[in-house]
Amino acid sequence: MTEPSPRYVVPTGAAPLVQLKGIAKYFPGVIANQDVDLEVMPGEIHALLGENGAGKSTLMNILTGIYQPDAGEIIIDGYACQFASPVQAIAAGIGMVHQHFKLVNAFTVAENIHLGWSETPRRASAPVLEERTAALAQKFNLQVKPSARITELSTGEQQRVEILRVLARKARVLILDEPTAVLTPAEARELFKALRNFVSTGNAVIFISHKLDEVLEISDRVTILRGGRKAGTEFAADCTPAKLARLMVGRDIVLADMRARPPGAAAVSSSPVLRLRDVSVLNDNGHTALHGISLDVRAGEILGIAGVAGNGQRELSQVLTGTRQAATGVIEIDGHAIAHANAADFVRRGIGHIPEDRLQSGLAPGLSITANAVMREYGKPPVTVGGLFRPGAAKTLARSIASAAEVVIPDFAMPIRNLSGGNQQRLVARREMRIASKILVAAYPSRGLDVGAINIMLRYIVDLRNAGAGIVLISEELEELLNLSDRIAVLYEGRIMGVLDNDRVDIDEIGLMMGGRLRGEKGAAHG
Amino acid sequence: MADFRLQRLPSATPAAALGARILAIALALIIAGVILAFVGKNPLALGLQVVTSSLGSSFGLEDLGLLVIPLILTGLSVTVAQQIGAWNIGAEGQFYAGAFAASAVGLFAPLSGGWSLVGMGVAGAFGGLVWILIPALARAYANVNELITTLLLNFVAILLVYYVSTDAWRERGGVANSATPRIKAEIPEFWGLVHWGLPIAVLLALAMAGLLAFTRWGYEVRLIGSNPAAGKYLGIAARRHLITVMLLSGAIAGLAGMLEIAGSVHRLQGGISNNYGYLGIMVAVLARGSSIGVIFAAALMAFILNSGIILQTQGLTTSTVLAITGLILFLTAIGDELSHYRVVRDKS
Ligand SMILES: Nc1ncnc2c1ncn2[C@@H]1O[C@H](COP(=O)(O)OP(=O)(O)OP(=O)(O)O)[C@@H](O)[C@H]1O
Ligand SMILES: [Mg+2]
Repeated sequence: MTEPSPRYVVPTGAAPLVQLKGIAKYFPGVIANQDVDLEVMPGEIHALLGENGAGKSTLMNILTGIYQPDAGEIIIDGYACQFASPVQAIAAGIGMVHQHFKLVNAFTVAENIHLGWSETPRRASAPVLEERTAALAQKFNLQVKPSARITELSTGEQQRVEILRVLARKARVLILDEPTAVLTPAEARELFKALRNFVSTGNAVIFISHKLDEVLEISDRVTILRGGRKAGTEFAADCTPAKLARLMVGRDIVLADMRARPPGAAAVSSSPVLRLRDVSVLNDNGHTALHGISLDVRAGEILGIAGVAGNGQRELSQVLTGTRQAATGVIEIDGHAIAHANAADFVRRGIGHIPEDRLQSGLAPGLSITANAVMREYGKPPVTVGGLFRPGAAKTLARSIASAAEVVIPDFAMPIRNLSGGNQQRLVARREMRIASKILVAAYPSRGLDVGAINIMLRYIVDLRNAGAGIVLISEELEELLNLSDRIAVLYEGRIMGVLDNDRVDIDEIGLMMGGRLRGEKGAAHG
Repeated sequence: MADFRLQRLPSATPAAALGARILAIALALIIAGVILAFVGKNPLALGLQVVTSSLGSSFGLEDLGLLVIPLILTGLSVTVAQQIGAWNIGAEGQFYAGAFAASAVGLFAPLSGGWSLVGMGVAGAFGGLVWILIPALARAYANVNELITTLLLNFVAILLVYYVSTDAWRERGGVANSATPRIKAEIPEFWGLVHWGLPIAVLLALAMAGLLAFTRWGYEVRLIGSNPAAGKYLGIAARRHLITVMLLSGAIAGLAGMLEIAGSVHRLQGGISNNYGYLGIMVAVLARGSSIGVIFAAALMAFILNSGIILQTQGLTTSTVLAITGLILFLTAIGDELSHYRVVRDKS
């Protein structure tokens, strides 16, 4: 990582930029926040940590006027404030980039920046807005293309637009809710540079993340929430990942080594259950995203897919699960070529899919938790019997998925968007594992989960493999891939650079392959 | 010192929502009353008159019963389309198309009695379906916004009916020269003037609610309506569902047109819809996506319309009546929003 920043010292004499005192927030059946104090100094990057559902997003929603606290005070620059809406919060210099972006997809970058802004010129043509946007981008050193539509942008670029939108409104406190969950390591480094730059002039950043290394790298101080309450504030320099994890869950977390195959685990099948042969795939813009890929997935193995995000991972997971048609090539399940299958057929054959954009495509945010939990099994007994959908049976099934996912749910009829981001992801993951009797395609399954939950999730993936399912694990975390995979394929610009057996892996070689170097002489297992 | 301020809740409690609506309607009536008082009418007497003549006599109740039939169906038509995320602004046109097709069968098909009614019913639903077919296909295959296409087709249907009733199908030697001859097949009445169309409309709304809540198909429709991307992820035939639901929506509005012809007007004439199609949009908005809610929203709307008719007999103009209707809807919408807020008191 980068060189350790000098030890942070709380500036004496300076008033905190943001101070929260005794904040409480209750939802029906849930204490989201209780007695929470938080103090953020000018020039500080302050991290907010906690398990899924600990109340981090809620606390920040209160600070930015989306929710009103049930108790407690918000003090900005020494003055008590009340924000009835985010507009008032941003007027006081507090802006937030949310866990799920709130950009208007059909609009351009410039239009999104100027949307709902008092300083937008009354009569503005597209060139004027774009020119203003370019000037802002220059000023804050954030590269964006003013005339591009949001749909054309990568996730990292969309995030830059969100940040620029907040900074343009003269924010002095920038709140980022899990900003790096969707970024490539390179994009994350860019972001950190921009953040350091931003606080160097006396501004402050509040940063929510589940990646403990990253928290220690970027932040000055860390506040930990547990079950809606504050568990402490620490100097990052005094912490280790293990200590933070302990503060978050209240006990030590032991990271299990998962490579060992227990006796009785299903053996790796000799013939592949799922097979791609010379498959090319187009992306949404009609460009070739995968170039003639061949890949075998066998029963009882975990096939890791390494690579920097955006090199065809999305299209790969989609073509493996029937949500995207191959342009050319053959897809075989159990040796039978699938001609025109759709996702429902793949599900019927026991193929589960944890999509990378699970909250956008894997859920219906406005429908109930029950409706979302039964998405994969609604069409068969016990939920549907003779064409009749049985809400009672649906709820029973939802309840069992929620308890397997270890998510506590006060009310199954409430819209699923009311759950914390991580808890939504856990439900999707469990839902998919239930149906993945043959294959599970898991794209970045640990994104957005807290350390404990990641551990549990990976454990389940291994159990699924031991029970005889084939797993395709797409991830950017090399450590995770090395810890779990039996074989690792490296994806670069829509091509497989090579497939390595895990017991003969050379990290440097993987690194080179991720940068586009083809597999060396040593004889690839399969290409 | 205690300080009061407003707090917005992410979702309103049912009690608050109901209370806000009752308050909104009461407030609208009070404002209307004050305005009436200003133009020299006695609002209390007028109010009493409205209540006694619409609710206090069987004639009034029968009128309500007749009004509520097309309103339930057009409201249901719009609500059904909403389930899959489509706005059917064309219930008006589909109503006319249904009335047109039903009249064609009633006038010219060699069917007798009951069979003629069945034929008219099928034709009415089919007419409405045909009228939404192009918007449905255009939305499904070319992503053309249905708001505009359905709206434009309204004018075509209105003109078509106007043309046939004053020209091609006009009753020769008739008194008015602006309507077709009387259609013989009639839906029998079961209570005064109210015909069996009322139970049919109510049953249809209940059936729709059941279909959406208790069938696999209904689940899929709600899912796609809530997030089209999820439909793709699950491999649901989203396009087919969109077309089916929109056609169903059109057919329901078409049936409303047929019931109006066969149940109460008995001839095809211009202006047959009384704006029921557009009023259906308001009914759907009041019902907030609930098919059962449509029944109650339609009843409320029928009462307002009926009150309007009574007020007109008391010398008020149509526009006054429309203004009061608008006021009620406007305040209800505000009330719905305000029910998300509560007043809290903090001590300082
Ligand atoms: N609008 C709401 N209605 C009901 N409950 C809610 C609502 N918003 C949040 N909650 C509940 O409050 C709790 C805290 O949620 P919050 O989103 O703050 O968690 P979080 O710490 O951000 O978690 P994550 O790491 O998973 O994003 C959760 O139990 C959640 O279900
Ligand atoms: Mg969160």
